[in-house]
Amino acid sequence: MSKARLRIAGGAVYDPANGTEGAVRDVCIEDGRIVAELPREAPKLDARGMVVMPGGVDIHSHIAGSSVNHGRRLLPEEHAADPAPAPRLADPDATPRSGTGGTIPSSFTTGYRYAGLGYTTAMEAAVAPLAARHAHCELDDTPIIDAGLFALLGNDDYLLRQIAAGEAARARDYAAWVLSAAGGYAIKIVNPGGVERWKAGGRNVTGLDDAVGTDAVTPRRILETLADAANALELPHPVHIHCNNLGQAGNAATTLETMRALAGRRAHFTHLQFHSYGGERGKSWKSAAKEVIEHVNAHPEVSADVGQVMFGPATTLTADAPVEYLLHASSGKRWVNVDIELETGCGIVPYSYKEQAAVAALQWAIGLELFLLAQDPWRVVLSTDHPNGGSFLSYPELIRLLMDRGYRDERLKQVNQKLVAGSALADGLAREYTLSEIAIVTRAGPARLLGLSDKGHLGVGADADVTIYANDPDRAKMFATPRHVIKGGVVVVEEGQLRRAPTGRRLRVQPGYDRAVTRDLKRWFDGHACVAFENYPAVELGA
Amino acid sequence: MTRRTVEHATCLGCGCACDDIAVVVDGDRIAEARNSCPLGRAWFADGSVPRETRSSGKTVAPDVALADAAKLLGRAERPLVYLAPDISCETQRAAVAVADRLGALLDSPTAEVAAGILASQRRGRAGATLGEIRQRADLVVFWGVDPADRYPRYASRYAVDPTGLQAPDGRHSRRVVAVDVGPSRGAADADERVAITPEDEVDALAFMRAVVLGRVTGDGTVARAATGLATQMMRARYVALVHDAEPSPHGLLHHPDRAEALIALAQALNGPARCALSSLRAGGNRSGADAVATWQTGFPFAVDFAPGYPCYRPHAGAAVLLGRGEIDVALLVGSPAGVPPAVAAALGQVTTIAIGPRVSAAPFRPKVAIDTGVAGIHEGGIAFRMDDVPLPLRPALSGPSVAADVVRALAARLTKGQS
Repeated sequence: MSKARLRIAGGAVYDPANGTEGAVRDVCIEDGRIVAELPREAPKLDARGMVVMPGGVDIHSHIAGSSVNHGRRLLPEEHAADPAPAPRLADPDATPRSGTGGTIPSSFTTGYRYAGLGYTTAMEAAVAPLAARHAHCELDDTPIIDAGLFALLGNDDYLLRQIAAGEAARARDYAAWVLSAAGGYAIKIVNPGGVERWKAGGRNVTGLDDAVGTDAVTPRRILETLADAANALELPHPVHIHCNNLGQAGNAATTLETMRALAGRRAHFTHLQFHSYGGERGKSWKSAAKEVIEHVNAHPEVSADVGQVMFGPATTLTADAPVEYLLHASSGKRWVNVDIELETGCGIVPYSYKEQAAVAALQWAIGLELFLLAQDPWRVVLSTDHPNGGSFLSYPELIRLLMDRGYRDERLKQVNQKLVAGSALADGLAREYTLSEIAIVTRAGPARLLGLSDKGHLGVGADADVTIYANDPDRAKMFATPRHVIKGGVVVVEEGQLRRAPTGRRLRVQPGYDRAVTRDLKRWFDGHACVAFENYPAVELGA
Repeated sequence: MTRRTVEHATCLGCGCACDDIAVVVDGDRIAEARNSCPLGRAWFADGSVPRETRSSGKTVAPDVALADAAKLLGRAERPLVYLAPDISCETQRAAVAVADRLGALLDSPTAEVAAGILASQRRGRAGATLGEIRQRADLVVFWGVDPADRYPRYASRYAVDPTGLQAPDGRHSRRVVAVDVGPSRGAADADERVAITPEDEVDALAFMRAVVLGRVTGDGTVARAATGLATQMMRARYVALVHDAEPSPHGLLHHPDRAEALIALAQALNGPARCALSSLRAGGNRSGADAVATWQTGFPFAVDFAPGYPCYRPHAGAAVLLGRGEIDVALLVGSPAGVPPAVAAALGQVTTIAIGPRVSAAPFRPKVAIDTGVAGIHEGGIAFRMDDVPLPLRPALSGPSVAADVVRALAARLTKGQS
């Protein structure tokens, strides 16, 4: 099949960004983009009886870079248990690659499996700018999907110094420079101030007004500074926030306080499930999903992805190193910690969410509550924080939980009831997601939140990233095995088989900044850093 | 000929990967590598490399050499692809692709530090990038290693000399303890020395961990030394525990449980204090070979593609299979000088194709040899510091063939041959 032209004929099209909810119509592709019409003789793909959607867009995943690779190195037994022979590609000159899977697959297998799932774009959500070069290398070895990376800020020494000095403009210029230098797409904040405190010999911060080194620097000030910077720089995606106190009972109070601290500012709150716990630290756990999601519902400037926990193996992997220390200390499991100079941290603990474990069952229920109580699917989108809450391969099962109440209620009965009892989910949430809502939370919504105007929809001019599913009433099966996937106009999955593996594009931004910041940065590098200022940028910066 | 200077070049003479080298070029020779240590000066030398392309002992055109190499590899029943040092990550990526295509065994000098990697796969690890040790460490324990010997600028760039956020007075802000394990002496410039015999080393580490965990005290000689040191470490704010992951220069075999005992101690110290284990690795982008193999296959070394997908064979890597006579054709990519002696000797017993710096002069006399430049001297790309920090390479000279290009050209021939 040529890349040039293709008519996807007769499918039920779900293109919520353009108001199409299951209408039967053709989707035409030419030179990698959606076009209004094609001549009759153009090649045709018969999609009658099938569901046609834009390619999936993952707003938050951990797939490439130094932390991910530390995690990969830690999991030989998972890789041995999930071999991935090279696919049989149509092009005889192509070089298909074998690999391994598990919760952190090898790079080529990651690309193949995302495409096999109908996803054509994914964001690597946590990259230390110092190691961005490594993340780009891995993404170069991750075929098919278009990908961007989020640059970790908020525990970096230079930024904290600017905040301490009240230099908001310089902080903004620095954020723009570091994002450009990393070849990044968005600013990611992880446990603002908390990672710095962990590295400085403390344990963590506990709330928004803890001093980080000096009273002038607090999590609140870090959040305000970076949220304002992202908005002033008109980045396509606002600050992407992993709040303080992840995973702690009672942390919903911190989450809500963070949202209020940024009132009126655009901000994205990631893996909200891990931040929606009621109860009291060290004493009790309960769901606070309702309080958190009600705030989100009422504040249109706020968006979130859920970070659903799925039962089964996971690998917790985060820049929030103090949290991983606690998980290691409480579980006794293998643990990696890497303090990353002047920037951030990295912690990894392999984990398994068991349905008979009370807290895991509660986490599972809280994620579903957030989904089912969210009023605007455009602002509360799907993620498992792969591989933290579960693999991206569990998305189809999650979709079934959202679309099929009978199935969900059955599953709920099977989990440990101790903490789930009395939750909104146990009280009975009747909502079932429609196919259109699934199209929103898995592609249209993430694309819009990311500011990817050519993705997540099938309007004229959009990237020709299209996924075609058999309309199977078992939604898990339907979404696990798309019949056809088209990426940039190339049919990558054909009759359920991966047949082509083109190179994906890198998505990045290059916001402008006052060049004076680079002179100050050069001085700071000379005084403190162990990498030359000139060697730091992962990508070429304009003059 | 004019003199010119390439600033901010990265040296791969050891795993420190100092990226502040000013390489002064006079004509087509390196006149000076400013800021470099003796190891770095020897590594850069004058930058001259042989430029041969040979097959069966004769000088041939590059195309002929590649065709011969592809033919030999295409017929191989049990091929080996070996990632030797002094190649960029780009070359390593291309070479792993060849191993995948051939169904070969893939290995690298990472196998030399297998005990540490396997231990970290069982337990994880507590670590830090070198710059963070500079910023934080108030107690630096050199465990049987003086970095001055094989990592000469470790002290001046990372620890203990430079100032840091929490070490405002540099060396004076830190306490330095040298642990002498038999002939493996800790840093010369220490505030305190502790002597442990190699036989007692692992017991001492285990004892220290028990002390840190609050489980034991004792009054034997080893117990007294271990208790004193462990107590000091617990009272520090941030401990850097530095050891050499590479094979001993004294020809001593490390105890097989040593690496795990070091990791376990470093992890335990993160209860009462903070602690990072700094595992010293040699140069030539060895850490890159580990990282690339990991992201492309899921395993850091000793990866067998024979079943059609990557399998981990940490106890049946290149040295073992070559020793058993199972390998018939080997593709070596990189510098022969960095190949462990046992592997190098065995390569002389099989048909070897070698692509890399100075391979035409390799003592094991490859059947096909294609000289390339040295990554970081003649070739650009990326290399990893010993702590996995990726750095750009800034070549000062143009070399013979570029290694990544040669490996990719070979891969293309193999693809055509099999399609």
